[in-house]
Amino acid sequence: MKTRKALLLAAIISLSVLTAAPAARAAAPYEAYTYNYYSDAVALPAPFLPERTLDGAGLGVGDFKLPNDFYVTKGGDVYILDSGNNRIIVTDEHWNVIRIIDGFDNNGTPDTFGNPNGIFVADSGKIYVADTDKRRVVVLDGDGRLVKIVENPQSEVLPDNFEFAPLKVTADRAERIFVVARGVYEGIMQFNDTGEFLGYVGTIKVQPSAADRLWRWLATDAQKSQMVLFIPTEFSSVDIDHKGFVYATNIDVGSTETIKRINPLGKDVIKRFGHYPNVGDIRYRRFGRESGPSKLTDIKYIGDGMYVVLDSNRARLFTYNDEGELLYAFGGRGTQLGVFNTPVAVEWQKGKLLVLDRGKNGVVIFRPTKFGRLIHEATALHYNGDTAASVELWKEVLRLNSNYDIAYLGIGKSLLMAKENKEAMEYFKLGMSRKYYSIAYKRYRREVMQKHFGTFMTTAIVLIAAFIAFRIARRVRPGRSAGHEA
Amino acid sequence: MRHEWMKFPFHILFHPYDGYWDLKYENKGRMSVAMAILLLMVITTSLMKQFAGFLVNFNDPRYLNTLDDLMYTVLPFFLFCVANWSVTTLMEGEGKFREIVIATAYALLPMILINTPLTFISRFMTNEEAAFYWMLNSFGALWFLYLLFVGNMTIHQYTATKAVITLILTVIAMGIIVFLGALALTISMDMYWFVYDIYLELIFR
Repeated sequence: MKTRKALLLAAIISLSVLTAAPAARAAAPYEAYTYNYYSDAVALPAPFLPERTLDGAGLGVGDFKLPNDFYVTKGGDVYILDSGNNRIIVTDEHWNVIRIIDGFDNNGTPDTFGNPNGIFVADSGKIYVADTDKRRVVVLDGDGRLVKIVENPQSEVLPDNFEFAPLKVTADRAERIFVVARGVYEGIMQFNDTGEFLGYVGTIKVQPSAADRLWRWLATDAQKSQMVLFIPTEFSSVDIDHKGFVYATNIDVGSTETIKRINPLGKDVIKRFGHYPNVGDIRYRRFGRESGPSKLTDIKYIGDGMYVVLDSNRARLFTYNDEGELLYAFGGRGTQLGVFNTPVAVEWQKGKLLVLDRGKNGVVIFRPTKFGRLIHEATALHYNGDTAASVELWKEVLRLNSNYDIAYLGIGKSLLMAKENKEAMEYFKLGMSRKYYSIAYKRYRREVMQKHFGTFMTTAIVLIAAFIAFRIARRVRPGRSAGHEA
Repeated sequence: MRHEWMKFPFHILFHPYDGYWDLKYENKGRMSVAMAILLLMVITTSLMKQFAGFLVNFNDPRYLNTLDDLMYTVLPFFLFCVANWSVTTLMEGEGKFREIVIATAYALLPMILINTPLTFISRFMTNEEAAFYWMLNSFGALWFLYLLFVGNMTIHQYTATKAVITLILTVIAMGIIVFLGALALTISMDMYWFVYDIYLELIFR
């Protein structure tokens, strides 16, 4: 009886322990992961946790109505483009409303926005609004006064009946404006500081599939004329980094180049050095709910080579480093805090991730966990060449999650710099980098050879001498032994 | 000639025409040696997957399984022998099944001789030298194919063209055997479940 009671007690205790353990973990309504060398999704501790969600009522400006975009400046000020209400809400870092821009003075006549889709704020404070339904890009100064309007682009490369419907906008320090426009397949439209159309940058290559080509080959001329043209997909978003390189995403099913980093010459220069292409999810269901490749609808350059992209298909965020390696992915659909309905834009506010949800009419604020902060800090140090300082952080990351390949690589690279080749080999093996392993191994082999060259040569000479002696002895001995026998 | 059984496979390596002729008409091949070579092949494959250097070893260590290596070496070997026998019997080949098994097993020898030391050497290679690894590896495979071809030609007394055609047909026959095997397995499973269902129906009545 006593043992039975004890057993029961033990059962109750273990049950309570078992139920208590997930409760601590349930803070994140999603599972964070990254992909390892074998393209398997590896679970990670949550790098970011939802802090709170902010809506129009919470800000005291009345509910948002289908907001399409927002922008956070380096100083932390937030510009929310409340498209349905045709207004811009400007708040400071702590979400105190500074002003609401719901119209501007257009050369004497009051003017408003028409379902704007994109917003960008330059370091100079100028606000760029892609005013979609009014077919123009409006540039305002920091106080909401009109600077200029870019509309009705003129060029011989544009068709006669061209309708300019800007969706997303960004600008560089020279005030060149980059616009993603609806129905424009040639690339990102580029305007100079006076609003003159310069041409396209970052053209997407079209690659018809084998089936497409077969059909085209079989079709008659009459059928061919009825067929849709092979047109590339449109870009879906743009951002710009501190060097003036344009980051852009496009929705191109089957392409491995859905994220682009366009240099001032219009060429894609993004690094794709990971074990798999940087396209969001690489493993997904082919059919059914939430199937198909990621649809990247927004991109944000968050500094130190890192950028985060938003997958509207599965409502997830993916952060990559400058080499194109996935740091982490998380997110999902749902009604809880931290999961999304229709996420449309992602921003970075001094270490926090912000996601604008059109379906929920609010902004979700994610604060980094220890794990997330360590990853960002270590990646930043590594990017800035301070590999030695990053080692401690990477070690801490590995303490939290020993399956984090990039941390092993980071430590390995630092060891390689410090000429600790043998240890570096160990880390590169764990990080599954054959390229760096080979470099470390080559150095280590040379080191060992140099160190043991004396021993090696002595042994070789002794062996050769012994062999010669043996041969001589053998040649001499038969005679002698023959003599003995005789 | 104490170690004739040991020397003979090496003789075949470098003098395949002569060697396979002796195998067939002087009865120099031994089934026990053939099986030993097959076993060595399994061991070599396993060792290579496990111990080849990191730079050339693309196997996922989580899924290495020596029993799988055994299965995926021995089964295709006998599948080839059976398919080859089936095809050559219809195509006026003179080889007996025993000869086919021995000839095929002896042809595996270069792969064992090359891959075993290669596994060891590959641990001391850098990325630039890995090309030699792949070159030697393919060299072993080509040598194997060459011996297989000569063996086939000699033991069945074929012309070169006919030997090539027979080898291609053998591969096709292997496919057919696998297909029929899978079919037979599925049907027998269906029959088993059918009987089992009837049994269940009866006892629950």
